[in-house]
Amino acid sequence: MSQHILTAFDRDLESVQASVVKMGGMVEAQILDSALALETRDEELAEAVRQRDKAIDELEERINVDAARLIALRAPAASDLRVALTVIKIAGNLERVGDHAKNTAKRAKVVMAMPAINGSTGAIRRMAQAVETMLKDAIDSYIQRDAALAADVRARDVEVDQMYNALFREFLTYMLEDPRNITACMHLHFIAKNIERMGDHATAIAEQVIYLVTGQLPEESRPKTESVSDFNAAED
Amino acid sequence: MNDMTLTERALEATEIKFAARDVQVYYGTSHAIKDVNIDILDKTVTAFIGPSGCGKSTFLRCLNRMNDTIDVCRVEGDILLDGEDIYDKKVDPVQLRAKVGMVFQKPNPFPKSIYDNVAYGPKIHGLTRNKAELDEVVESSLRKAALWNEVKDRLDSPGTGLSGGQQQRLCIARAVATSPEVLLMDEPCSALDPIATAQVEELIDELRGNFSVVIVTHSMQQAARVSQRTAFFHLGNLVELGDTTQIFTNPKDPRTESYITGRIG
Repeated sequence: MSQHILTAFDRDLESVQASVVKMGGMVEAQILDSALALETRDEELAEAVRQRDKAIDELEERINVDAARLIALRAPAASDLRVALTVIKIAGNLERVGDHAKNTAKRAKVVMAMPAINGSTGAIRRMAQAVETMLKDAIDSYIQRDAALAADVRARDVEVDQMYNALFREFLTYMLEDPRNITACMHLHFIAKNIERMGDHATAIAEQVIYLVTGQLPEESRPKTESVSDFNAAED
Repeated sequence: MNDMTLTERALEATEIKFAARDVQVYYGTSHAIKDVNIDILDKTVTAFIGPSGCGKSTFLRCLNRMNDTIDVCRVEGDILLDGEDIYDKKVDPVQLRAKVGMVFQKPNPFPKSIYDNVAYGPKIHGLTRNKAELDEVVESSLRKAALWNEVKDRLDSPGTGLSGGQQQRLCIARAVATSPEVLLMDEPCSALDPIATAQVEELIDELRGNFSVVIVTHSMQQAARVSQRTAFFHLGNLVELGDTTQIFTNPKDPRTESYITGRIG
């Protein structure tokens, strides 16, 4: 897309989008670090993740202020309008991912004090890595205005859902085996749920990219896996 | 504050008022309008946008044969008003212009009283039978133009003594007085302040209930605010015509996108 006649308009658009990309990078690090802290029982790292969330919240606030200013002063139309709208939504989704990472770090600190549950933290970290890659690709698709890559991210969320379902069954088994596992497993389950929600936010960001590029949100519903809400412990 | 919802803005009319087919306009050897095909709907505000010299005013002026007054101007193709060719030899341009009123960029009231400015059209077209009827037309036209309350006590004062915004609304009242079916507006707010502009825009929205309105404007925000359909002209071509919302959120043609987002196209 060629440049605006008014160069200050281009600078404003670039600046707000740079903030979104920066926020994306910060949130990606939070996902990986929270899962790493859990697996390596690194209390310091878990605390650092909790502390860093504030900067992410502040960046979201700044993006909202900048986008509001852009709308008020530049009256953007067409693709420029879609940039202004999508930065707000993407920043909102990133902020939520940041919150889930913070909550993961908080629970990680609790779980660290308990006996380990059979390699489940490794499975959680692999799930976190899958979600981090989704988020990275979603942000890349945003930078490159690549609707095909965004559609791919959207399709990948089903894998994360499957990982979550597998973990759900696993935790259920451990809890049935030995009630002393319940506290740790409940925390681990909430951590897995946090990461599964991050995947949903990465998917929502990918959908915003599709809207930004094509002017329309994707119509067909994305692939879904069976829901854990259908599970019943008595069946197992 | 008008609490009209977005859905109420949506296009309801489907009846075609003007149909233009393969319209070409030449000024001498210069080809100003190229192959324009457009349907203008009844009871709808249609905005023409585009850079200076793109042909939007020229095309607007074809709709009530204002270009007839320019010697070197030649119009080809068909322009149908309610299915009838307005360039047919049987059509009297003066009668046509009573049906297709026009408001210009700069307010141009006659050097007459406010009353006579509005009464002029109905008088020459013999639309009223007596003074009482004429008074009624003058009052209702001034009311439609949202000017009645400001001028009702000084109808005998000269129209040229009004403020710019009032003069423009007087010109709109004058155009409305002959009960036109279509109102053409060529940048009607470019000489007005924001308050007067807002009043004229409010008026345009009200007039839509009775007329088909076609407005040429350089202000894209104005086009976005007042129209239901927008046509983008560029270098004499009609590049894109669509619902205003679609044109301003998701234009199909890259030239439209470049123009409305303020890029070098």
